[in-house]
Amino acid sequence: MHLALLELKAARGRFLLMGAVVVLVAALVGIVSGFTTGLGDDTVSALRRLSATDLAFSPDVKTDQFARSLVGADTLAAWQRQPGVRATGLGVALTRGTTERGVEVDLAAFGVDPAVFLSPGVERGARLAEDGQVVVSGKLADQGVRIGDTLTVDRIGVRLTVVGVTGSSAYGHVPVAYVTPATWQRIRFAVPGAQQATAELPYQYSAVAIQAVPGTDLAAVDRRLGTRTVPLADAFAAAPGYSGEKVTMTSIQTFLYLIAPLVVGAFFGIWTVQRQPELALLRALGASRRRLLGHTLAQASAVVVGGTLVGAALAGAVGLLLGAQVPFSLPAPTLAATMATVALAGLAGAALTLRRVATADPTTMLGAGR
Amino acid sequence: MSLELRGISVTLGHGDARVTVLDGLDATFAAGTATALVGPSGSGKSTLLAVAGALLRPDAGQVLLDGADLAALSERDRARARRERIGYMFQSGNLLGGLVVVDQLLAAASIAGRSHRQLRPRAEELLTELGLGHRLRHRADQLSGGERQRVALGRALLLEPALLLVDEPTAAVDRTQARALTELIVGTTAGRGCVTVIATHDPAVLAVADSAFDMAPSPPERLSA
Ligand SMILES: Nc1ncnc2c1ncn2[C@@H]1O[C@H](COP(=O)(O)OP(=O)(O)OP(=O)(O)O)[C@@H](O)[C@H]1O
Ligand SMILES: [Mg+2]
Repeated sequence: MHLALLELKAARGRFLLMGAVVVLVAALVGIVSGFTTGLGDDTVSALRRLSATDLAFSPDVKTDQFARSLVGADTLAAWQRQPGVRATGLGVALTRGTTERGVEVDLAAFGVDPAVFLSPGVERGARLAEDGQVVVSGKLADQGVRIGDTLTVDRIGVRLTVVGVTGSSAYGHVPVAYVTPATWQRIRFAVPGAQQATAELPYQYSAVAIQAVPGTDLAAVDRRLGTRTVPLADAFAAAPGYSGEKVTMTSIQTFLYLIAPLVVGAFFGIWTVQRQPELALLRALGASRRRLLGHTLAQASAVVVGGTLVGAALAGAVGLLLGAQVPFSLPAPTLAATMATVALAGLAGAALTLRRVATADPTTMLGAGR
Repeated sequence: MSLELRGISVTLGHGDARVTVLDGLDATFAAGTATALVGPSGSGKSTLLAVAGALLRPDAGQVLLDGADLAALSERDRARARRERIGYMFQSGNLLGGLVVVDQLLAAASIAGRSHRQLRPRAEELLTELGLGHRLRHRADQLSGGERQRVALGRALLLEPALLLVDEPTAAVDRTQARALTELIVGTTAGRGCVTVIATHDPAVLAVADSAFDMAPSPPERLSA
């Protein structure tokens, strides 16, 4: 290892440069990964929180189900009668509201029955109990909506009393406000401008949230009841922007994973070519192939692993600096996994050059032309 | 201890560039003696050193170092012989870029799996003997041609090889230094009892060496001292 260190020291300028490139690639992968998770959370964390296994929508809509699907009360009741299934209505609607202190907020109104499994817990205040109450996501609290405030839904004039604050919950980058199904129906179906709700609001929901015993034949129920059931995770794609963001971020990440081995491979490739005379000298002095390969791998590992660690620290620091202002989330396991991938990709690139190290020809030392 | 070459033939190059450089050469080099290998340019001096140094496997013949045939060894074992038993100063391109002088020597220790910490004092002492005491921390590219050759000689001597092969040590040094350098090699050879072969054109080397071997005649012959 002494010789490997000597060589590292001798070419430290280049190795530092290369290390810096690895740092930047790793940091970029980390940051992109943080935004991928963060944006994903910001789009579907409210859906992820639902303690449902599946969601049943109206059969005719295949995209944007939360905005376009409507399921009637009779369908819900029929679902609730199925064996092996617990079912409750779920309403989703994007709207805006203003508190009496003039705080204006965007919110995603989630209509959930407080008595059953979708009911959100609270971190502060009281749980959702009756019509006209609202439990807001922590983000809304950060924006200035306080427990005890009256939140008036814009244009419709529905007045909601803030009773509790729950954890972070967002849908389509909009923080969630939980209301009862009846309140949600007033928000969803009210005629804008009407001071009083029309007498006959439809008893409808966006979807039926289902907790199914594993193995239940939901497709058969769908056929009988005329619904279209998808697993909860598949329903994420119905959230606004989810698929597009995911494709964008994943392709950036994929390209970075491809760039990392190419850059590292190109560097070590050029370095190995430049170093051929020295490799030949070392072989002529009796260095074994194994030793030279070992040294090269050790040097590559030092650069790649060192660079990745610094890059990880950098990405973590960016996460801390950004704080809660932007949708950025980089939990330690995610960071570790992405950094391990960058390091492996980099080492794979370095491995491409090992053949040239092994084939350095000691007899070139005989040519007097050096 | 001795080095004995028996029936060495070497053909280099391919096609039109094919040259029979050595053709059934026999030679014996005794321990404790420094032999000057002379002959015109292109007569095969460097080639002979490479064969003796287990760097080039001859097409035919034996290279007996203490009775064991280096030419019969596997590539891996020849590399081991090079790092453990042979000190080699090449005609050019001896030094590793970016390394300081003392590390050039310690790199050889590293390759041979010896402790660089233990050998550092010896390396510094050797370099001082070679007149490089004030250059220990200089990089190869900060040295003159003669200084580089002396560093290479120091590296060849560091591990006290059984066989010391030196190719044109005095090509880049002045007459006084050439004589001093040769005396150092010859003295070391006598002191350590190693087999030493010095390829050279330099009459100064010829004058100091214990004996000489001429590549010009066919077959090459030992010159009387
Ligand atoms: N790779 C090669 N292919 C073909 N011929 C070669 C090759 N290497 C060396 N030769 C030839 O072999 C001959 C011997 O070369 P060598 O280097 O041993 O000579 P030398 O006696 O050391 O010469 P000098 O005094 O100039 O160093 C030369 O004629 C050279 O042209
Ligand atoms: Mg020569």
